[in-house]
Amino acid sequence: MRFGIALRLGLLLAAIGILASGLTGYYAYTASRALLVQAAEERLLTANRVLARQIVAALENSGQDVRLLAEHHRAAAALLESDRRARSASEDEVAALFEGLLAKHPEYFQVRLISAAEHGLERVRIDRDDSGLVRVLGDDLQEKSHVPYVFETLKLPAGGVYFSSPAINHERGAHAGQGKPALQLAAPVYGTGGRVLGLVVVSLDMAGTFNMLAGGVPSGLGLYLAGRSGDFLVHPVPGRAFAFDRGQRALMQEEFPVTADLFAGRRDHVVSSVQPDSGETVVAAFNRRDLDKLRQGAFFVLGLSQPLHEVLKESDALGVTTLRIVLAFSALSFLLAMLLAHAITGPLNQMVRAVRRFASDRVTGPLPVRRHDEIGLLARSFADMQGQIQSQMDALHDKQCELDHLASHDSLTGLPNRRMFLDRLDHALARARRSGEQLAVLFFDLDRFKDINDTLGHAVGDVVLGTVAERLQNVVREADTVARLGGDEFVILLDGTRGDEAIALVARKVIDALAEPIHFEGHLLSVGVSIGISQYPRHGRDASEIVASADRAMYRAKGEGRGGYRFAEAPTALSPATGPLG
Amino acid sequence: MMLAMLVLLVAWSAPDGGRAAPSARTLRVLAWPGYADKEVVESFERRHGVRVEVSLVGSDEALWQKIGANRGGDFDVFAVNTAELQRYIDQGLVQAVDQAAIPNSGRQLARFRNLGAIAGLTRQGRAYGIPYTYSEMGLIYDRSQFARPPDSIAALWDPRYRGRVLAYNGASHNFSLAAQSLGSASPFRIGTTAWPDAVDRLIALRRNVLGFYSQPDEAVELFRRHGVALLFANYGRQQVQLLRAAGADIGYAIPREGALAWLDCWVISRGARDRGLAHAWIDHMLGKQASDLLVSRQGLANTVEAPPDHGPDDRLLWLEPVEDVGRRERLWARVMSGDRLGKVLEP
Repeated sequence: MRFGIALRLGLLLAAIGILASGLTGYYAYTASRALLVQAAEERLLTANRVLARQIVAALENSGQDVRLLAEHHRAAAALLESDRRARSASEDEVAALFEGLLAKHPEYFQVRLISAAEHGLERVRIDRDDSGLVRVLGDDLQEKSHVPYVFETLKLPAGGVYFSSPAINHERGAHAGQGKPALQLAAPVYGTGGRVLGLVVVSLDMAGTFNMLAGGVPSGLGLYLAGRSGDFLVHPVPGRAFAFDRGQRALMQEEFPVTADLFAGRRDHVVSSVQPDSGETVVAAFNRRDLDKLRQGAFFVLGLSQPLHEVLKESDALGVTTLRIVLAFSALSFLLAMLLAHAITGPLNQMVRAVRRFASDRVTGPLPVRRHDEIGLLARSFADMQGQIQSQMDALHDKQCELDHLASHDSLTGLPNRRMFLDRLDHALARARRSGEQLAVLFFDLDRFKDINDTLGHAVGDVVLGTVAERLQNVVREADTVARLGGDEFVILLDGTRGDEAIALVARKVIDALAEPIHFEGHLLSVGVSIGISQYPRHGRDASEIVASADRAMYRAKGEGRGGYRFAEAPTALSPATGPLG
Repeated sequence: MMLAMLVLLVAWSAPDGGRAAPSARTLRVLAWPGYADKEVVESFERRHGVRVEVSLVGSDEALWQKIGANRGGDFDVFAVNTAELQRYIDQGLVQAVDQAAIPNSGRQLARFRNLGAIAGLTRQGRAYGIPYTYSEMGLIYDRSQFARPPDSIAALWDPRYRGRVLAYNGASHNFSLAAQSLGSASPFRIGTTAWPDAVDRLIALRRNVLGFYSQPDEAVELFRRHGVALLFANYGRQQVQLLRAAGADIGYAIPREGALAWLDCWVISRGARDRGLAHAWIDHMLGKQASDLLVSRQGLANTVEAPPDHGPDDRLLWLEPVEDVGRRERLWARVMSGDRLGKVLEP
């Protein structure tokens, strides 16, 4: 394959086109991925903030519920009452209150009224059970003074609410709440005089609450929740939530190191693409919410994650589309490059062809001279140059022809000279040998020409020679050659087979034509001729033999009297040592 | 060329599917807080090119539950005291340990090296554990609230300290404590008729305490926030160290009834996947790094050097298997939940 300029230029242009579309496509693709990730991060962060706000609101609402119950006059009354009957009646009233609350809030496992006296004895206790609400009574009521939600709450001021750390509830007889992650919310019950009488405790079903709040979060998102310690309370992988309850640790700041800043309080949110220990890379947004209003120093970190491959799903489609566009544009640019290369090299090739043709045939081919660009200019310059060369070549050719004519013709008579005659004789002989035809040569000189020259001068001689030449040309056919060999010697070559009679007729015509006197400046000049005739192949095989035979025949004719002709005789073994041809 | 480049770039940015698979060799360790600190675990992982999965337990009950859950198949090696070890041997949850496969056992003090001389460590001539650390369960008291160090465990029931006592959430020890306080000669053996008194005693303890802790850290926090006067140190000197580090002005007393003392040993679970690796872990734990950390960080005694402040008159009651663990636990769970005597003693 020849790498012509068209191919190279085409490939270069195509490569530039493909590179440009490829890079554009690639950067569009990566930019779109970055944008998608950024958009996902913002979306997750927003959803996260909304959910976190809802969690805080839910906790605050529950806290409000507990406080309202603790501040209810019936709670204090039930704890203060010492009369057995009255006490029982007021406990029933409190139980009715609690049942109303539990009926309204399915996220509560249990509501209790606990006495500060009697070692934290539960006075009213309503549990949720699979079958509904259960009021726990009598010996089943337990003493709780040793559990944190009791001893911590009893130290709170009026209006304060205790929030326990989330934990799995291991208390015996806790019905639906047993073994489930729960949060205890408690508020102290104060009597008159600022004496703390007991507390109201609500068990919040953490999983239920969280699932209810997270119901608005699109499916496919991973939810993470951790408290102050970083232990996961909610995790998409079941075993990692509440791992501490099983003696293990599963910490958010270890699985997602970017969240360390949140736990250290340096930032309140982070977004990041991370690969947790538990699987594929996710885009995740984490948000820290302080719960100082609920519990001093408490906070939680909420995380929402989405698998990166899902975020980038749209970009994969975009990538395929981009790739298609890139391929289409690459093909287009390849095609355009080839067309452009052809448009540029087409006229160049046209000129190349024109130059070649001119060089070989000296014929000017079509040139793109009508173009108004550099190629047009080049073509016009070339056309000018071609014209110039053409005219110079023509002049040269004319000169050449003239020189050729001068070299082969007699300047005085215009007849072919000896050289041209011999040339034509050679050609005629060659042709005759090939075709088996014959030819004849008539040889003669002018009688009395020397006298005219000597007496009347060379100028008259020249006129005589010119007249003779003119007359000779009139008596022979155009195909025959009349030549002046020099001085007053002439020769006629008759080409083609003719009978002796026909040849003799020509000889007689010559004799007759020259017998006519020539008028010149009052002189009547008379010249005659005797003609020797030789024929091929009869009188010689080659030019010199034929001419010599004719010469000899002429002399014999002269010997027989002037004004006659004579055919040569058959050749003898001897060749003449000298002849008219020397 | 461009297309090839694009394809490559796309391939690079595609999610990486070829993550290294987790090492096939994983050692599953069940330990107590402070036994297998991160650097000790990491140095073992580096040396043996394995992954160590450490789970922590805070009570003997939790340990029994975890090991029993899958007949010892969930863990390779764990730490248990000599008393508790008996029921593991009874149930065939542990396998014999080859002391010769643990070169570092040569560094141990003579009384820990001689396995046959330690009660409960051998059975039918085969050793089942390698001593690792020990501690007596003394009383930690706040110096500002005690003119003189408490000299009896009865202080835990002293109404003067009501709501300022911290006890431990553990069934066996608490019943032993109750028996001790009732003057029993053998606190690990509660007689059939003695149960109601023991339960009653524990209910009294429940009513006198602020609360029951499980983890040392938890105890430190409660101690400081609630002005606790007296603490039953289930984790022994480890807790003395922790509280002092937290700035508490405390003393440590061994009661005259004698302090329960435990000797924790590393044992190999019946379901251990790799016996060699389990032995290597035990050997590693007797090494300098782990032994030094026990003393310097946890305030525990190791088995390679004697503690400097060991009182010669201190009476220690080495833990023994109790008469009925199941019963103690069942009853304790009820006590802990707040049930009153009649309810606790219900069949």
